[in-house]
Amino acid sequence: MSLLERRKEDIERHLAKYPQKQSAVMPLLYIAQEEYGYITEEAMEEIASIVDTDVTQVRGIVGFYTMYYSQEKGKYLIQICTDLPCALRGAEAFSAKVCEALGIQPGETTDDGLFTVENVMCIGACDRAPVIQVNFKFYENMDMDSFNDLIEALRREHDAMQPYSHE
Amino acid sequence: MTHILLRELDIPDIGKMEVYLANGGYDGLKKALSDHQPDDVINIVRESGLRGRGGAGFPAGVKWSFVPKDVFPKYVCVNADESEPGTFKDRQLMENNPHQLIEGALICAYAIQASAVYIYIRGEYWDIADHLDRKIAEARKKGFIGKNILKSGWDCEVYTHRGAGAYICGEETALLESLEGKRGQPRLRPPFPASEGLYAKPTVINNVETLSNVPYILVNGADAYREIGEGDSPGTKIFCLSGCVNKPGNYELPFGGETTFRKLIFEMGGGIPDGKQIKAILPAGASAAILPATDEVLDTPIVYGAFRAWGTDIGSASVIVLDEMVDIAWAAKKMINFFSHESCGQCTPCREGTYWLSRLYKRMDSGQADAGDIQTMDAVAAQMEGKCICALGEFAVNPVRATIKHFPEDYERAVGNGRLSRR
Amino acid sequence: MADTVKITIDDIEHEVPAGMNLIDAAKLCGVDIPVFCYHPKLGHDGNCRMCLVELGLPRKNRETGEMELAWFPKLETACTQKTCEGMAIRTTTERVTDARRAVLEFLLSSHPLDCPICDKGGECPLQNLTMAHGPGTSRMYWEDRMHLGKHVALGELIFLDQERCIHCARCIRFQEKIALDPVLGFDMRGRKQQIVTSSTPGFNSIFSGNTTDICPVGALTTADFRFNARPWEMVQVATICSHCPVGCNMSFDTRTDRLAGGRTTIRRVMPRQNEAVNEIWICDKGRFARHYMEHEERLTTPLVRKGGMLVEATWEEAIREVAAQLKAAGPNIGAVAGGRLSNEDLYALQKLIRGQGSGDLSAYLPNATGGEIAARFGVGVGTNLKYLGAGDAIVVVASDLHEEAPIWWLRAAAAARRGAELIVISGRETRLDVEASQSIRCAYGAEVATLNAMLGSLPKTAVKAGESLDGMAEAIVHAKEFTADAALKAAAKTIAGAGNAVIFVGSEGLTGEASRELAQASANLLAATGHVGRANNGLIIVWPSANGQGAADMGFDPGFGPGYQPVDKPGRSYGDIFAALADDVIKVLVIAGADPVYDDLTAEESIRKTKGFIVVQEMFLTETAKLADVVLPVQSAAECEGTYTSGERRVQRFYPAVEPLGESLPAWLITQRIGEVLGQGAPSVSAAVLLAEIGRNVPQYAGITCQTLAKVEEQFPDVGGEDLYYGGTSFQNVRGLGVQWPTLAEQVDAPLSVAPAQAGEVLEPADGEMIVVPVTLVYDTEALFFKTQLLHQRVPLPHIGLNPADAGRLDMVDGDLVSLTIDDHRVAAAAYLDERVPSGVVTIPRRLQTQGAPLFATTAPVVKLEKVEA
Ligand SMILES: Cc1cc2nc3c(=O)[nH]c(=O)nc-3n(C[C@H](O)[C@H](O)[C@H](O)COP(=O)(O)O)c2cc1C
Ligand code: SF4
Ligand code: FES
Repeated sequence: MSLLERRKEDIERHLAKYPQKQSAVMPLLYIAQEEYGYITEEAMEEIASIVDTDVTQVRGIVGFYTMYYSQEKGKYLIQICTDLPCALRGAEAFSAKVCEALGIQPGETTDDGLFTVENVMCIGACDRAPVIQVNFKFYENMDMDSFNDLIEALRREHDAMQPYSHE
Repeated sequence: MTHILLRELDIPDIGKMEVYLANGGYDGLKKALSDHQPDDVINIVRESGLRGRGGAGFPAGVKWSFVPKDVFPKYVCVNADESEPGTFKDRQLMENNPHQLIEGALICAYAIQASAVYIYIRGEYWDIADHLDRKIAEARKKGFIGKNILKSGWDCEVYTHRGAGAYICGEETALLESLEGKRGQPRLRPPFPASEGLYAKPTVINNVETLSNVPYILVNGADAYREIGEGDSPGTKIFCLSGCVNKPGNYELPFGGETTFRKLIFEMGGGIPDGKQIKAILPAGASAAILPATDEVLDTPIVYGAFRAWGTDIGSASVIVLDEMVDIAWAAKKMINFFSHESCGQCTPCREGTYWLSRLYKRMDSGQADAGDIQTMDAVAAQMEGKCICALGEFAVNPVRATIKHFPEDYERAVGNGRLSRR
Repeated sequence: MADTVKITIDDIEHEVPAGMNLIDAAKLCGVDIPVFCYHPKLGHDGNCRMCLVELGLPRKNRETGEMELAWFPKLETACTQKTCEGMAIRTTTERVTDARRAVLEFLLSSHPLDCPICDKGGECPLQNLTMAHGPGTSRMYWEDRMHLGKHVALGELIFLDQERCIHCARCIRFQEKIALDPVLGFDMRGRKQQIVTSSTPGFNSIFSGNTTDICPVGALTTADFRFNARPWEMVQVATICSHCPVGCNMSFDTRTDRLAGGRTTIRRVMPRQNEAVNEIWICDKGRFARHYMEHEERLTTPLVRKGGMLVEATWEEAIREVAAQLKAAGPNIGAVAGGRLSNEDLYALQKLIRGQGSGDLSAYLPNATGGEIAARFGVGVGTNLKYLGAGDAIVVVASDLHEEAPIWWLRAAAAARRGAELIVISGRETRLDVEASQSIRCAYGAEVATLNAMLGSLPKTAVKAGESLDGMAEAIVHAKEFTADAALKAAAKTIAGAGNAVIFVGSEGLTGEASRELAQASANLLAATGHVGRANNGLIIVWPSANGQGAADMGFDPGFGPGYQPVDKPGRSYGDIFAALADDVIKVLVIAGADPVYDDLTAEESIRKTKGFIVVQEMFLTETAKLADVVLPVQSAAECEGTYTSGERRVQRFYPAVEPLGESLPAWLITQRIGEVLGQGAPSVSAAVLLAEIGRNVPQYAGITCQTLAKVEEQFPDVGGEDLYYGGTSFQNVRGLGVQWPTLAEQVDAPLSVAPAQAGEVLEPADGEMIVVPVTLVYDTEALFFKTQLLHQRVPLPHIGLNPADAGRLDMVDGDLVSLTIDDHRVAAAAYLDERVPSGVVTIPRRLQTQGAPLFATTAPVVKLEKVEA
């Protein structure tokens, strides 16, 4: 199903915000990412045609901004701020521990496809370091206990959403 | 002190429409629309001396007065991109006191006769954007936004627009490009946004904190505002305190007078943890030159330009405290990696210079650097200076040159030794 | 002359045009400010920072009130400045030289030093500027460099070396601002930023090759030229593109090759700067479709039909045979000549045929006529579309310029972007409509009526200028019979009020006679509104071939002799020639440089049916040649010399670049040798001598000689020659800009007249029928074009364009097999649903369908073919 079929109302709401269609590229890319988990080639093409531009221009936007993903990532994207203010409060060590706990390196995704970890630049919560975002939601003043709890909760959430299956 | 900006500290639920209204909320807008011509509003803000809080400290009223009168439509863009490392004040303003920002933006829009306000908010503040959307809807319901606002005959819309992870989009012209659905690469100036901004139409771009001051000025008058603060730095400033301090957070203090780094760090921030000594201060995130924490620095009353002699300024006042354990070369490496990551790639010196510098720091980190590399670092940074399209490239010079200048021993220690680290 | 201002460069005062880009102005004063991203054709972008200078501007001293020179504290980019009175710059101070060295060091910090194997090496701005301003060594450690893709295909035509790219964005800006195909862009950011294309096919633009010329480093290369030769090894031979009527100035860059057995071969095709014609651009067809010239299937010996078979023969034998046939046929002969032939070829051929007493001469394709109208009301001498802009008007009628004459499309679109009113009048929407300020749809066949209506709608005051012209009164009375709606009235008003106005007269959907009337209607409108007889005003015929104007000038028109001189008895038209051939009235037909059997559904029938003798002059054994009695191998434009006359009536010369293939001869020489046997005199010594003869016998060409054609003037902006700042690749034009011959309207007291333009019939399809319109595509399967393997992927599959609504009615979907039945011929191809095709019409691209397309618009039943089960 095309993006327009899936999210017509949202797309139109964003288009209506701006006097020029191209301005809606960014919000539409977010919609595509919500729908498909990442931004697919088809989505880029569809968005280009919705806003009347060449798909190359849309790709350039996806590549420019770090919050758009043109490749599949884990269901939960864990972004750990390791920028200077957070690093001064132990964020680098925290990130290392998180990676160890999940058994991956920064930038990688766990084998079950659930978690991707990224070290990111300042996300505006330096006073509450260590801080992470999971799918762009803040979790602040983290330590490994609260992190492990969070991972557990996310796994439970994920399992609950799985359709019933019998072996 | 009662707060002008962080009013939730005095009135806990100020973010709620009823509470905001009960405490004089939207009176500034009402007053502007009923008592003043648009030009009068510009004059009031100009007389208040309010300076931009986004970093450059340009007088807001003067900026608004540059907008041509006879070109339509016009726009206001609220710069809520807040991506400077160590900055988290706009976030608190939007989370806790959103109507004050909306009101300030509307007053600005009225003053320049804009037909729309776009709040450009960094994508990472995902939930805050949703929160603002709800608050905008509330304000629209009350008739503060939309057609014929408060029966004045003036129409104005307010929208949020999410960024998507690019520090450069805080630069005002990159912000405009991004808002137009393009890559966030700064524009050449002239033309300036006041004459050709969003969609090549006259546009005012102001920081969240700047605009949050405006309702107070309209309600209380320019003179009342000038009474707070000092000289050409009137009003209060939110200091984002982070790094090696016991109580990091946002602190709103008036400019000048008793406001010093000593007061901020040791009184408000509770001093340095673990009994360590303070070593240096980054007064404006990664962007402005580092200050060695001498008594002179710690006791200088903070106003715009107070640290000119040290070649630095307070910018957006994101104060990062570094204690004696911090290897300054390591801190510089973190900052250069930030700029290299965030360089938009448009102009040669910034694109190539930040990358080259990041490689030199990496080299130093891995113990491969020799003494000549420190010189090369300084020279590479020096030859970026004054050649870039926007200030990002110029900012990136500071973490290198100022740290080499003030803390050469930290660099020398790293030569042949490597392993830059926090402690 | 533009206003001038005084500026000071390095303490020396100069007078330069006001408001000019500072880089260009400095260059006029002999000061080269180094640039990478700036290009005079693209404007400034300010990204490379190479052009930093110290800048001072006059400013009023607040205290004294006096004007004084205030120097900016920082260095400023010169490329972003416009000259103004009192401006001062310094370009040689230490600060400036340091800045240049710094910027170069930054650029080189990521640039691979692979000049020895780089195609740009030797003509590379980065190389040159590094020599002039750069650091001797780089302080960046080798292992710290970015290592990136070196052979990234941006489609099959253009390759990107990511390491060499210096991010100047010239290529992106060219595509966005000039080609208007924004199919290139940057991906990623910072040092990771890269040029990408996501279009399908990759780098989808017919102007893509130009980016390789303006790329200031060797980052972009063409599949045609990469690793093919070093610039300094090549000899540049001036030539003129033979693919369309624009007449782009190009050069064949040649090299003598061991691999080719010591032959000289063409290594690449480059644009040559001619600001009045193509500036510095060419389309990809002109650049890449050159491989037919050296193709192994080229004919190298004459062929004569013996026992039903074409067998090799000597020239003597072949010529004797043709001459004998011609002699026997007396005046019952004719000739059909393609517009790829040179003026000399055409002149010789008409002389041969007329010398035998026949006037049956047709140009091919025969759709466009009206050369005599262009000779009177064509664009004035000195016309340069570059100077059309705000306040001017350009009308394009019945032509898809993007496909038919790409560089005109590009220049018309540019004029529109500069503010010129662009009025597009056509049966269907084309790419130009996007750029147009007024798009007017008219029924196929109603073009003349439309222009007449426009003329008729003009108030008397608007026709003042043309009032006195002979025949104008009648033309206007006639025009008033046509009614104009508001859109037509507005368009007419625009033209009348325009400072300058040019009409491009196309022939889509028209017959030869209809196109003549359309040219007349255009001339009437232009003459009435005073837009003739001067530069940048008049009409331009969009001929379906490179030398269509020349063919008309040389007398390939039934109504005229060479130079539009009257003839005693008009000759046959194209259709009548083939009819007469079929009926054995014409006994010998010479077909030169044309392949009607392939293009024209009905020609094959006539040729198969006739007992007459068919002589074909060709480079290849085309479909027509296969049916000929004698095939005479001609040289390609790369092997011989000659002249072409562009649609703007600019006569331009091309030069031999490589040795002739086999025994092939120049077409004019073959013709004259036949003439010699027939007693018409000895052949000319050279094409140049023949040109002199043309000058004597074709009045318009009087005074046009090899010498006048070879004249050059300094081009502005100067991007050629030694100047490797802007271009990189040399665009220099040293072999001549050609000569545009004056129209009658430019001559005082000339017997100038207009006549009413007769509106033809609008086709009325019967029930179940639709209007079938043959259209031209830039990339097709034409015999010469299709020899270039490189472009095959760009040629669309055979298709028939159809409005989706009609498709719905006919129960068809995209890709269904459709058949048209035209005069007993069935043409079948896949349906291509296209909203731009008007309802009731199908378009059928020429030279794409294996079964051919009709030459002219017609009506035909359109049905869906059931899928044949295997
Ligand atoms: C690289 C760069 C990043 C910036 N980031 C921000 C930002 O995140 N928020 C902000 O308000 N201003 C930022 N600025 C400053 C803006 O360009 C602009 O000066 C400011 O929005 C003007 O508003 P003000 O006058 O209210 O301060 C940045 C400037 C640069 C050069
Ligand atoms: S490929 Fe060439 S023209 Fe394009 S940005 Fe790179 S250096 Fe410039
Ligand atoms: S910045 Fe001026 S030429 Fe590139």
